[in-house]
Amino acid sequence: MSILANVVQWLTNPTHWQGTDGIPVRLVEHVQLSAESVALGALIALPIGVGLGHFGLFGNVAINISNVGRAIPSFGILVIAFQVFGLGEAPIILALTALAIPPMVTNSYVALREVDPDVKEAARGMGYRPLAQLFHVELPLAVPLIMAGIRTSAVQVVATAALAALIAGGGLGRYIIDGLAQQDYAKEFAGALLVAALALATEVALWGLEQLLVPRGIRLLKTPTSRRAATFKTA
Amino acid sequence: MNPKAGSTWLLAALAVLVTVAAACGSTSTPSATSKGTITVAGFNFPESSILAELYGQELAHGGYTVNYKLLLGTREVISPAIQSGQIDLYPGYAATDLEFYNKGAGEASGDPVATTAKLNTHLQPLGLVALDPSAAVDQNAFAVTKATQSKYNLTKLSDLAPIGNQLVLGAGPECPTRPFCQPGLEKTYGIHFKAFTPLDTDGPLTRAAFKNGSIQVGLVFSSDADLGQLGLVVLQDDKQLENADNVVPILRQAVASSDVKTLLNSIDSKLTTADLVTMNSQVELLHQDADAVARAYLQQHNYFS
Repeated sequence: MSILANVVQWLTNPTHWQGTDGIPVRLVEHVQLSAESVALGALIALPIGVGLGHFGLFGNVAINISNVGRAIPSFGILVIAFQVFGLGEAPIILALTALAIPPMVTNSYVALREVDPDVKEAARGMGYRPLAQLFHVELPLAVPLIMAGIRTSAVQVVATAALAALIAGGGLGRYIIDGLAQQDYAKEFAGALLVAALALATEVALWGLEQLLVPRGIRLLKTPTSRRAATFKTA
Repeated sequence: MNPKAGSTWLLAALAVLVTVAAACGSTSTPSATSKGTITVAGFNFPESSILAELYGQELAHGGYTVNYKLLLGTREVISPAIQSGQIDLYPGYAATDLEFYNKGAGEASGDPVATTAKLNTHLQPLGLVALDPSAAVDQNAFAVTKATQSKYNLTKLSDLAPIGNQLVLGAGPECPTRPFCQPGLEKTYGIHFKAFTPLDTDGPLTRAAFKNGSIQVGLVFSSDADLGQLGLVVLQDDKQLENADNVVPILRQAVASSDVKTLLNSIDSKLTTADLVTMNSQVELLHQDADAVARAYLQQHNYFS
């Protein structure tokens, strides 16, 4: 039987969907690890990126440190963190958060810098105080790029969370590592496919979220002129 | 000098350096006096590296060019590699290899000679051969922490049968499919564990899991040097689940000349389990390199005289 036929057979086998090693359980573990890491990363990265972008300070430093961060292999961080923290979730969360931070810092910094200076000046002229200007004018305009950064981080984290299985963690990576040890190539391939599918689903879901978060005005700006007049509601 | 010419110089120098380094780094071709090339592989645990180094250095001393592929992986990786000729020799363990090549038929026993003979009947059609088994034995062993031992009053594996459903077993991910591991414990001892945690085969993950209490029973190897130091106690295999896992070199028939056989048997005839434990402790506790430890053993026992 070809490898693809074996993989399809593995995925459609009902016993692989039940129990503590079943696909739903591993999926939930994987999503949990990824979501925690991206959330933690966002908590650290977004304030830094937005703050630096708003004040226009230390941009090059931030972006360069970010790029260096991207170059550090997550596998390396994982093993070192394992030596320090031992078994558990701490090492993998650490490695994944380190992976999640760089794209978000870079994107949010650039997003804030890209806001049209005329708009910022107009806001000041209208009487917006700096903090209000940040939240009501600059951030809404920056949302598309910031969301792109979060999307990039999330997809990378979901794909890399498979590493958790290397230090006895859970998640879909378990199928890849166990399949390798047991020489069960169908399981290995299926695990890899599932991780890829989850990464794609993350991309689509966050794109949908971005559509919801982008301010109506900007969304309307992107629709063709012929349809614009019909949908525009005056204040 | 104008800066552009300077950077061209630098680029040219770099290119030359890289080419030279690549040429120097390539595998050495056998010298004119070499009797042939043998590729020795080892499993992914330190003891296997030591054994592979012992065999390899003895063969090198005997005039062969030896390539090493240490820490290659589990038997599931090494067996296809030797059958396809990518490696020539690996240090096997009689009973476990027999049960691997006969697909778990249960032919192994406590007699190393009989076990090796049966192993050879399965190896012969694959173009492989196993030589004489050594007196040195390293078999699967199941350990518990001292705390677990005193809590349930454990001395042997049979003691685990009534309390198995309260304990978590930790071993390499291949354990649920290996006859000497979880299926063997269920069939021979009637132990059904509460859960199985996939870790590594007697590696740092297993030790970390013992330490943080996420497993109570773990797979270790009987020749491990650091068990006492970690507060782990091996439970006695009273029903003889683990059979004669004597060290035995397994090699391709194509490289099994009488000269090679003599060299390898000379190692196995003198190797003891105590030697294994000593060498393991030097590698695992004193953090010495496997090749240095092997060389010291061979020199001490006058193989290089």
